[in-house]
Formats: sequence, C-alpha cells, structure tokens
Amino acid sequence: MKFFKTLGFIVISALAINLSAQELTGHAIMQAMEDTRRSTNDSSFTTIKLSSCKFGVNEDRIACAERPRVKVLESVAINYGKDNKDTKSVSITLEPAAERGIGMLTYGYDEAGRNNQTWLYLSALGRVKRIAGGDSDEETEPVSIFGSEFTTEDTDNGKLDEYTFTVPEETTESGRKVWKVEALPKAERAKKSRYSRTVHYIDQERYVVLRSEMYDKYGKEIKRLMASRVELVNDNWLARSVTMMNLVSNRLSNMAFVEIYIDLDINDAFLSQRTLTDTAYRETGLEQLREQTK
Amino acid sequence: MLMRFARYSLAMLLLALAPVAAGQMAPTEGSGTQQSNDDVFSDELIFEGDLFNDDLFGDAFDGTEDSKEASWLDGFTLRLSQQLFWQVNNHSVEPLPGLRIPKDADLENNRLGLNFKYQNAFAPGWLLQSTGQARWYWKDDYEYQANNDNIDSEYRINELYLQRSFGQQSIKFGRQTVVWGETVGNSVLDVINHTEFRDFTIIDIEDARLNQWMLVWDVFSNGSQWSSFINLYPEFNPTAVPGSPFYANTGYNVGDYKRGSETLFEAGTQWRKSFERSDISFMTAYLYENQLSYDYPIEGYGDAVAVINDFVLVGFSANRAIDKLLLNLDLALSLGVQPKESSFPGITVVGSGLDSQKDQLGASLGVEYAISSDQSISLGVQANKVLNQRKTLSSQQTNVNDRIFGSWLVRYRNARSNGNLVISSTLQGDLATDSLFVSLGLDYAITDHWAVAGQIISTTANQQTPMVLFDADVRVGATVTYSF
Repeated sequence: MKFFKTLGFIVISALAINLSAQELTGHAIMQAMEDTRRSTNDSSFTTIKLSSCKFGVNEDRIACAERPRVKVLESVAINYGKDNKDTKSVSITLEPAAERGIGMLTYGYDEAGRNNQTWLYLSALGRVKRIAGGDSDEETEPVSIFGSEFTTEDTDNGKLDEYTFTVPEETTESGRKVWKVEALPKAERAKKSRYSRTVHYIDQERYVVLRSEMYDKYGKEIKRLMASRVELVNDNWLARSVTMMNLVSNRLSNMAFVEIYIDLDINDAFLSQRTLTDTAYRETGLEQLREQTK
Repeated sequence: MLMRFARYSLAMLLLALAPVAAGQMAPTEGSGTQQSNDDVFSDELIFEGDLFNDDLFGDAFDGTEDSKEASWLDGFTLRLSQQLFWQVNNHSVEPLPGLRIPKDADLENNRLGLNFKYQNAFAPGWLLQSTGQARWYWKDDYEYQANNDNIDSEYRINELYLQRSFGQQSIKFGRQTVVWGETVGNSVLDVINHTEFRDFTIIDIEDARLNQWMLVWDVFSNGSQWSSFINLYPEFNPTAVPGSPFYANTGYNVGDYKRGSETLFEAGTQWRKSFERSDISFMTAYLYENQLSYDYPIEGYGDAVAVINDFVLVGFSANRAIDKLLLNLDLALSLGVQPKESSFPGITVVGSGLDSQKDQLGASLGVEYAISSDQSISLGVQANKVLNQRKTLSSQQTNVNDRIFGSWLVRYRNARSNGNLVISSTLQGDLATDSLFVSLGLDYAITDHWAVAGQIISTTANQQTPMVLFDADVRVGATVTYSF
C-alpha cells in the first residue's frame, strides 16, 4: 500500500502528480508539488485520525448520517533508494481498542513494474504475514486503506507519463485561485484505473490540491476529494484534513493529520518486521520519536 | 425447544438493538449538525463544493495539544461478550451398526466471557504483556449441566510474559505462543502450541491456540531473524469437557497426562529471511505431540493411560507474492510421530497409543487471492504421508493411515461498509472426504465498542470415522460484544 510511502501528504500531492508532463504549465505545477512532497515526507512521524461514515445533506451541508467510525494510527516513514524515491513506512493502530496493536509495514518502490511489499501483524495470527494484492501499480484492484474510502489508487504517485492532461484553466475553489486540470490516463494506465478521468483543482499559490473529482468509464462522477486546513509545515503547505466522498455508496472518509513531524532522526532498522513483532523494541523507538517532537 | 430458541433469540435481538439505538441517538461527531434524514440520499447525489462543511471533522484536531498524563491503566483492553449457540437439528447418529444415538436440538452454549489484554512498555526496552479470560456458564450451557445444573465459571491466563529488547536481540519469558508456518489455518508446521477445540464455536486454530511457559530468544539482523525457544513444561491438548459436543463416553476415564519424575522439555529454532516478494524459513525442533494418545487401562477399566510421544521436526516454509496472489508452502519432516486416526485435533481415540512411531512427511500449500479491495479468498491443503509404514509392524498389523491423508480449508471474506460488516465463510474437510465443516459468519461493528456476530455451522461425517458423532449437526449462534 503506497499510502504510507508518503504518509499524509500523498493524498494531496499524488492526485496532482498523476497529471502529465505534456503541458509545460502542468509539468511545472507537478514538479513543484513533487518537490514539496519529497521535502516534507522524509523521516516523518505522524498521528492520523481516519473517520468514516455514511453521509447525506442536512441543512444544505454534507453531514455524517451516523456516528463516524474512527481509527487512530501512528505512522513512521523514511525515504530511501535511488534519488530517495522509495519509501519504507510502518503504521500501528492505536484505536479502536479492538484493533490496537495491528501493525503494517510497507516498502514502496517508485520504479515502474516493481511491486510494493506489505507485511501485516495481527496478534490473532501470532506472526507476521505478507499481504498480496496491495499494489495498484500492477494490474490489481486498488486496495482500501484501513477499510476507508481511500484506496491505493487515490494515493498513488509518480509515473507522470502515464497521463495526458488538458490545458489548465484558471478558476476558484474555496475562495482560492486554482488551476483546474483534467488528467486522462493513457491506454496502459487506463487498464489499471477505476477512473476514466480525474479533475483536479490545484491551489495556484500553495501547490496543494483543494478538490478532485473522479469519473468512471461512463462519465459519471463516482468519488470526490475535498481538502481543507491547509497549513505551513516546515515551510511547505499541507492540507491536514482530506475527505474522500464515495458518491456511489454515499460513504465518506476523512483523513486528519492530527500531528505531523518531519526531518526526524529515524533509524532505518526501525522500518523492519521487527517493529511489528517486537513490542518492546517498537515502543522504545516510538518513545524516542515522541521525545524528538517535544 | 422452539420456544426457548425464540426466547433467546429475542433476548439477543434486544441486546443487539440497544447499542444500535444508542449509536443512532448519539450526536454526530465533528459535524455539529443534527442527524441527516434518509430522505436526503439519492442515487444521483449531486452537490456543489460549498455544500461541503470545511470543518466537518474539525473535532479530530481537538485536544491533541493537551495530551493526558499516561497511566498504567491505559494498557488495558477489555472485551465482554455474551454468546448463545444451539445445535438445532433433531436427528440421530449411528457410530456402530445397530447403535443409534439420538441428538436432540438443544442449547449448547449460554455464556458470558470477559477477555482482557494488558500491555505496558514500562521502561525503555521492557514490556509486560498479559492476556486472559473469564467465563461464566449460564443455564443450559453444557458446562452448567456438567456442574450439576449450577452456574459455573472458569478463569485462565493466556499470555503472561516479560520482554527485554536490546541491540539486535530480544528475550521473552513467560506464557506465550510460537507460530511457525506460512499457510493460514492448517499448516503442518503450526504444531508448537497445544490447542483446545472445546466445542464448535471455535473451529479456527488461531482462536484455539493455548500458551505455554517458554523462553524465546530472537536475534534480528538486516532482513533476517533467528528465533529460538525452550519450553520446560510442555503441555498437551486438554481433553473434552463432559457434556461438550466433543466429549465422547469411551467407557474409560480419559484424562490429562500424569507427570512423573521425568523431565520434559521442548526446544526449537527458526531462521527467517525476507527477500523482495518472498520470505523463507528453515526450522528444527524437538517436540512432544500435542494430541495425547491413549492406551487401554491396564486392568481393563478405569483410567485410560495417556501416552506422550516425542519427535523431531525439520521444516521449511516459504511464500511468494505474485500480483493479487500469495502462494504459501510449508514442508515438515516429523521423525518418530504416532499416526492419528483423525486429522482433526481434539478427537480422542482410546487405543491409539498402541501404534508405533513412524516418520512422516507433511506439506501444506496455501493460496490467497485478493478478489477486490473488499474481498479475499484463501485455500489451504495439508497432506501427510507416513514414510516407513511397515517398520515395527508384524504381518498381521496395519497402519492407521497408510495413504496420503490430511485436510483442506477454504476461507472467504467480504468486508462491507468500510469494514463495519464482514461476511465470512469457512469450508473445512479432510482429504479422504470423511468429514466436512461449513461455517457462515456475519460480524457487524455497530460502534467502535459494540459488535454483534452470527454464525451457522454445519457438520457432515462418514460413518466409519470418529467424526460420525457430529454428522448432520447444524449449529446456530450469536454473540454480542462490547470492547473498551
């Protein structure tokens, strides 16, 4: 699952990165966003609150129609490999109580055709288990991220040449001047994608996607992403609240980056299977990271 | 019987609806708005961006600055569950020609369970972890009946260990499990822990494992792990509780192994290495078979004689990820085991202790397939072959298992509504097609705390096998769980 390769930032940046480099303006936008993503993602320690619910419209507002189901995760990631483009990440579930301690380790590779690797630790299994089917780079079905409306395809990044995109239009979104860019997957990408096209609204000043619309092969909008709480984190803009609405199932998931720290001193060995199984080791490592954030 | 079934069903329904109602009435977290009416939903929901509440989940950021002071009590996770299980099919079985045993529809399980987990990393590199359970058996539960129609209770510490991690090493001492093998559900290498299949509410080995007092030493290095254990008090699969579905009156008292002055121990070591798309392991161990064998009583009546059997295990396991497929392979060479009459653990057959030791080669092959982001299916096949079949046998003697024998397992899982609703199915049988389990389950998480589950289990078995006692059984169960 590539989500943890870029932690929270990816949802914003990856959607935009799916644009193509055919248009100079688009390429410049994408390059700027990619640079931002890389600089903010490295050596990060994040607390994420993932809330999902069925939604409806109440008093002219989108609202949860039920009490949201909430998951809280702690996640650690580092970039590595050629040009620092690959990522190792590990995430541990803190809440709900019934899922506490479930851990996931992911090695994400930027290289086309190279499968990501994911291992899961469930106390019921009593061992680390390799997971298959978690790679949207291959001809696989996108995988839901912790049961939410976010999938690996939504959070994938890189591979700009797999898309063509329209000439950016200038418009406004949430009171901000944005570029409206339509990304169309090329033939090979189209085989793997659930979306026939995606329309992004990218903040002109902050290089952050504020809204994205995903359409199926029949031209029907099936998902919509809305971003808010755009804040400066280490001199880079970041949307700390991202909501993905599934317009088919009328369910939404919000990913809130409650706490995020980057450029920490993270030992490469911490991003290993040992962190999943050796709780004493893991807690010691996490405590050291928490100390760094104080 | 039907009235009682209906009464219990109503009670379970009310229990289930209570948290639903509580959840519906609770304010919507973060939205700050009233509950939406279902009328607002439509298949063609179209809305403009300004409909989106920019701070719909603003509460997610509340309180993060003022983190409360940590308490040792934070390490507790508790789960309360009330379970009801019925055998609902009125029928009879015929284990021997002319011997017909009626099996009336009846409530088998009516019990309240409390499970706890405690985890406390109380100092850098140190961890204390414990899990345990308490059970209270109410009216009509088979344990209640076995206790002369009185409420019975049972307490057990499952895990209790202290862990110290330093440098590249970790040492754990206490009650714990060690799981080997890659194949889910029926690995030939998953034989270190003893198990308790007390009744049909537990048919998955993941739920049936019991812990033992062990010292485990792990050494980690780049991409590999060396793990060793020693167990100075090997334990064995407990015998079935009188009254339980697995309890069979053999005419003899079938009890636990009576320990003498001899020293029993188990030890083993495993080396595991991860490669891109694959993990491999090599292992070897000196073990005792978990399922006890029994000789006939010396005097012809009374206590059957529990027989322990030590053996040496040499194993290899590997997995390989290929897109949506995950292939698992486990190989086990067991030197000096006693062939069993049933592939299903927990089945006790008096007289099986008379068999002599054999070597056995076993293999488990598993395939896991991610159908979609919400659905998965796994298939596991376990096959075993006794290698030196005629060794120590006279010309008049035959082996219990002289062919390839083993089991197969298929699991399907479908998670709906962001995982709140999980539909699962398990099919399990033996290679000789002597028995078949079919389980259909439905788990619904009503809130982060409340969950309900329903299960239907059907059992089919041929007359010539010990499993005939469960032929044509149909069980229906429901569980309400509160976790906090």
